[in-house]
Amino acid sequence: MLLALMWLSWMGLAQASSHREAPLIADDPLADNVDVYAFRSPDDTNTVTIIATYVPLQLPHGGPNYYSFGENIRYEIHIDNNTTTPGDDVIYRFTFTKTNEDPTTFFNIRLGQENLKTTYTMERSVDGGATFTTEISNGIVPPNNIGPRSIENATVGLGTTYDQLVSGAIASGMTSGEKVYCGPSDDPFFVDLAGIFDLGDAPRQGGTPKDGVACLNVSTIAIQVPISILQKDGKTVNQATNILDGDFVIGVWASASRQQVRTLNTNGTESYSGPWVQVSRLGMPLTNEAVIAIGDKDFWNAISPYDEITDTLLDPYFYNPELGLYMDDALFGPAVPGFADLRIQRNSLAQVFGGFDFGNGNDGLWPLKGSPAVAGTALDDAIFGALLLPGPGRPRSVDLWPIFHTGVPNLEPYQLATGKTGFNPLTTGKPFINNFLPNGGDMLRLNMATPITPRNSADFSSLGIVQAAVLGLTDPTYTASGTALQFIPNMDGFPNGRRLEDDVTRIELQAVSGVALAAIGLWYDDFDTSASPVTSDLLSVIGYTTGVEENDTSFRSTFPYVQLPWSGTGKCSGMEIAYTQPAILSNSVGVGLAAPEVIATAYPNPFTEFTQIKYMTQGPALVNLSVYDLKGRRLATLVNERQGAGEHQARWESLGLPNGVYVGKLQVQKEGGQVAEASFKLVKN
Amino acid sequence: MVLLTLLALPAWAFGSSHREAPLIANDPLADNTDLYVFRSPDDTNTVTIIANYIPAEVPFGGPNYNTFGENIRYEIHVDNDASAGNEGDEIVYRFTFTRVNEDPTTFFNIRLGQRNLRTSYTMEKSTDGGMTFTTVITGGEVPPPNIGARSIDDAVVGLGSTYDNLMMGAVSTASSGETVFCGPVDDPFFVDLGGIFDLGDSPRQGSNTVRDGLARFNTHAICIKVPISMLQKDGKDVTQAANILDSDYVIGVWASASRPATRTLNTTGGGYVDSGAWVQVSRLGMPLTNEAVIPIGAKDFWNAITPYDEITDTTLDGYFHNPELGLYMDDSQFGGAVPAFLGLRIQSNSLGAFDFRNGADGLFGLKGSAAVAGTALDDAVFGTLLLPGPGQPRSVDLWPAFHTGVPNLEPYQLLTGKGGDPLATGKPFINNFLPNGGDMLRLNMAVPVTPRTSPDFSSLGIVQAAALGITDSRFNTNANLEFIPNMDGFPNGRRLEDDVTRIELQAVAGIVLAAVGLTYDDQLNGVPVPSNMFINVLQYSTGVEENDTTFKSAFPYVQAPWRGTDI
Repeated sequence: MLLALMWLSWMGLAQASSHREAPLIADDPLADNVDVYAFRSPDDTNTVTIIATYVPLQLPHGGPNYYSFGENIRYEIHIDNNTTTPGDDVIYRFTFTKTNEDPTTFFNIRLGQENLKTTYTMERSVDGGATFTTEISNGIVPPNNIGPRSIENATVGLGTTYDQLVSGAIASGMTSGEKVYCGPSDDPFFVDLAGIFDLGDAPRQGGTPKDGVACLNVSTIAIQVPISILQKDGKTVNQATNILDGDFVIGVWASASRQQVRTLNTNGTESYSGPWVQVSRLGMPLTNEAVIAIGDKDFWNAISPYDEITDTLLDPYFYNPELGLYMDDALFGPAVPGFADLRIQRNSLAQVFGGFDFGNGNDGLWPLKGSPAVAGTALDDAIFGALLLPGPGRPRSVDLWPIFHTGVPNLEPYQLATGKTGFNPLTTGKPFINNFLPNGGDMLRLNMATPITPRNSADFSSLGIVQAAVLGLTDPTYTASGTALQFIPNMDGFPNGRRLEDDVTRIELQAVSGVALAAIGLWYDDFDTSASPVTSDLLSVIGYTTGVEENDTSFRSTFPYVQLPWSGTGKCSGMEIAYTQPAILSNSVGVGLAAPEVIATAYPNPFTEFTQIKYMTQGPALVNLSVYDLKGRRLATLVNERQGAGEHQARWESLGLPNGVYVGKLQVQKEGGQVAEASFKLVKN
Repeated sequence: MVLLTLLALPAWAFGSSHREAPLIANDPLADNTDLYVFRSPDDTNTVTIIANYIPAEVPFGGPNYNTFGENIRYEIHVDNDASAGNEGDEIVYRFTFTRVNEDPTTFFNIRLGQRNLRTSYTMEKSTDGGMTFTTVITGGEVPPPNIGARSIDDAVVGLGSTYDNLMMGAVSTASSGETVFCGPVDDPFFVDLGGIFDLGDSPRQGSNTVRDGLARFNTHAICIKVPISMLQKDGKDVTQAANILDSDYVIGVWASASRPATRTLNTTGGGYVDSGAWVQVSRLGMPLTNEAVIPIGAKDFWNAITPYDEITDTTLDGYFHNPELGLYMDDSQFGGAVPAFLGLRIQSNSLGAFDFRNGADGLFGLKGSAAVAGTALDDAVFGTLLLPGPGQPRSVDLWPAFHTGVPNLEPYQLLTGKGGDPLATGKPFINNFLPNGGDMLRLNMAVPVTPRTSPDFSSLGIVQAAALGITDSRFNTNANLEFIPNMDGFPNGRRLEDDVTRIELQAVAGIVLAAVGLTYDDQLNGVPVPSNMFINVLQYSTGVEENDTTFKSAFPYVQAPWRGTDI
């Protein structure tokens, strides 16, 4: 881990997930990366699951042409496992084809036929994209979860369950052992979009937080890959030297590319030609959503992580993140009350080192550059080059920048304060992370050797590594052993990979607020060497939450883990309105109908002011007699009560109603529960 | 009634168009969603046209909230004269948009009074069929998205304005006199998308609830209010109309979006270059045509052609002559498989003689007979458009409703006064006849407005006017031309309130035929009008009958967009 990394030219830290995150790609939803997840499979720990979601904010009821993957797009998942080889080491490429099985209907599914039926090809490259081998042809993409008539009904629809469609679409059997699923799913992400993008109003001040991606679906590509396929030397996880073995780190990113030239034809078709151009990418969540400013978002989407090594335009967004402005009372902190609990260290370790200032525009740890204090640590130029301390006025070069661009090595100062001496963050502490893969690009970095935290464990936390740090700093189970390496629950959480449950918005906001610095001993300003470092400021940051902490549905316990897509006719299919369908009247001449079980007559009919309705019941029954207009609106309920057997009467006054035709409806529910109905016409002249 | 041999008729459809065709569903910025045309209720010397684009915008869809797209021509087209020599649009309004970042250093859309993706527009007008355009608005203001109180109302961090002020401040007057608004609005449409597209489960069966699939979503509206004298072909104002169904006051309106033919992505650094001729990628006239009439195999084609191309096109006619929806209202076809449509049954034996179910002959048997002489079905009057052949039963109702409008001529008058003969003269109720053969929203501007506050106002539009003209003693005792409430409703134009989904489903079930005297199978001797089958169709409803919010009482009538933080 002590390689010199002179070829790196650092950048910065961002904030995860990406829905409509850049102007141009917001206008091209089919090619829009939404999220990337990478985690050891909880039920199959010799594998890693990577999930790349695309096509944001899909309405479950978005018919008649429900959402799907696009044709003429290359959806790719890229893996780097070795910084000594240039670029990606493994690439999975997915391309999709749609066909109409019945072009004569406007319905998506009818009589077992599916329109826009989507299939995919999966190719794999292990030579950096020079050549690809087809691993899956005609892979099945399940249809949209339109509703029970389209999916379950065996006569008019497909005659299956949606669960079976998903299970049946999982591909396996490749020699390299992957499992693959491509199809619609619930969007596993959760975030208060409305609050956050109303100038950082998260948690909402004076309002209730709301999960903006609740009830919406996405298009998911999920692959489960044996660790030995991803590990650079083909090793299985039990060959790892320890749970933070640096040889087991992978960097994952996803992208979408289109051909350079699109031509619209005058007959309503499109043609594509030319080389492929990347239009969207995603590694760390929220980078391009809430770190990169709008002027550079389209550029960010166009370059690859490997371009970032030489790019210098984007670095400042990480050295001095915009979000930092809103967590600093000397800047715009007071203007963003939602972030009141998030305050960056402006004077850390004042009693020991005279104070480090991580506020935007300040020097952070730059004064230590070249000093004996940093000798042998990650901040030593002789070890990592000038990447972590590139110059003055770039305070977050030591935390946000590496989290997004290199990962963090298990090396001083990037160890927990537990076990460190003399309040010196540069001494050896308790290890808690090693996802160091210093290629300089924005990726999700996962150390595959780190054990999983069972999802049903009491220690499982959506705070990921932040929670691991909290436990490692405060829980005697972990503090007692000092600097010893041991598994702390949630060391397998974001930003060491990303689990579906991880609350990345919260974690990244806490990170911008300096929680990672605090964890390694760069305590908040209210720290006093005579008292606990778990200060009020630290507790404020740890306790900060957007109020939206989990997905709006469960996850599945087995691959592909994401939940089934919301149904197009379920609770997520629009605003509910009470409506009772009017009775369907029998044919006026009674053709082909059985004798009515209940009988009602009205006299006079036609009438001018009122009419008297007479009806018979054969036994005690719950009787409802109502009058409707021709639009089906109920005008009056004349009877709604339990009545005995025999003849009954009710009078309807039509005062104030226009002349015309009205409909009476008699409903009789007998003791046994059977319901009989009769409808009759009332004519006002 | 002139001879109309220039027509080569197509057919009728089903309104509104969200994600309606495969390709345009992938290009939301250029996706027409709805079109409305109505006499302005508070300014009856004008007509308001509203063309909506970009379906199902989530109000909190940040950080890059929806806006009109650049490099797109959004157009509103008006035809007011279908006579020979006046083919094509008489007026075209073209809107193009530009987006600017006032502060490219933030990821927020609005910060400290600065707006990103700030959008403005140019409005051009052509009165020579699109050959030349005159710019009538430059730098038109598009209000920002209604993000939330901090971004909009807060004077320190946001814009320091109410949203209503931003919206009303963006209403402009064109140099040519039109009143104009372009911006985000509440989507005024309402429909149970989930139910309907789950194989016609509308109203939802086995449930006491339905769902408005577009509730709480926004869309982008282009609204123009135009003096009637500017739209009428001879420059007349409405007081000069001969009567309330004066044929000279019919306009046909459609909207479209076009993009340059070629998009070339930059190979480095992001962005793209658009070039080449403009190609129409989306259009909309009548609601739901391309959503629920045209099947998937022909939808992209439908979006690519103009209404004027439909005169010579023959691939689309069949969808109106024998509509797919008709299969689901016919017990001899798939009626039994769509229980929600049980109350909707097409005439199979109207007057003991006529079958309008798919594949049957409808009125074709009357062709050339003495009975149709002098009526709209007389080849000598309208050519062969309305009775083109056997096996095309809906050529007399659905096809003209979508492609020519309906003249005030037998048989297109109410059964009131006909004495049982649909071909006799009856009570007039519509004249929106503009026989150019293309899918448009046709409005007779001479028809008076039904006040929105009137107890007679109904979202059933012309269907309600017909019901009143047949059943209400205020109107059904004579066959004279008189104003019946809701004669100004869909499909005579389209008001924001009109329940076009319901009306079109009723129309497919033959309600227009019934209204003109081609009554339902159970309307036999001795059965009072309307018969039970007629009542079933009148009472049919999807259950989603109105928008989820109010409308404004003054231009632009559509409601302010839902606020991101209020949803």
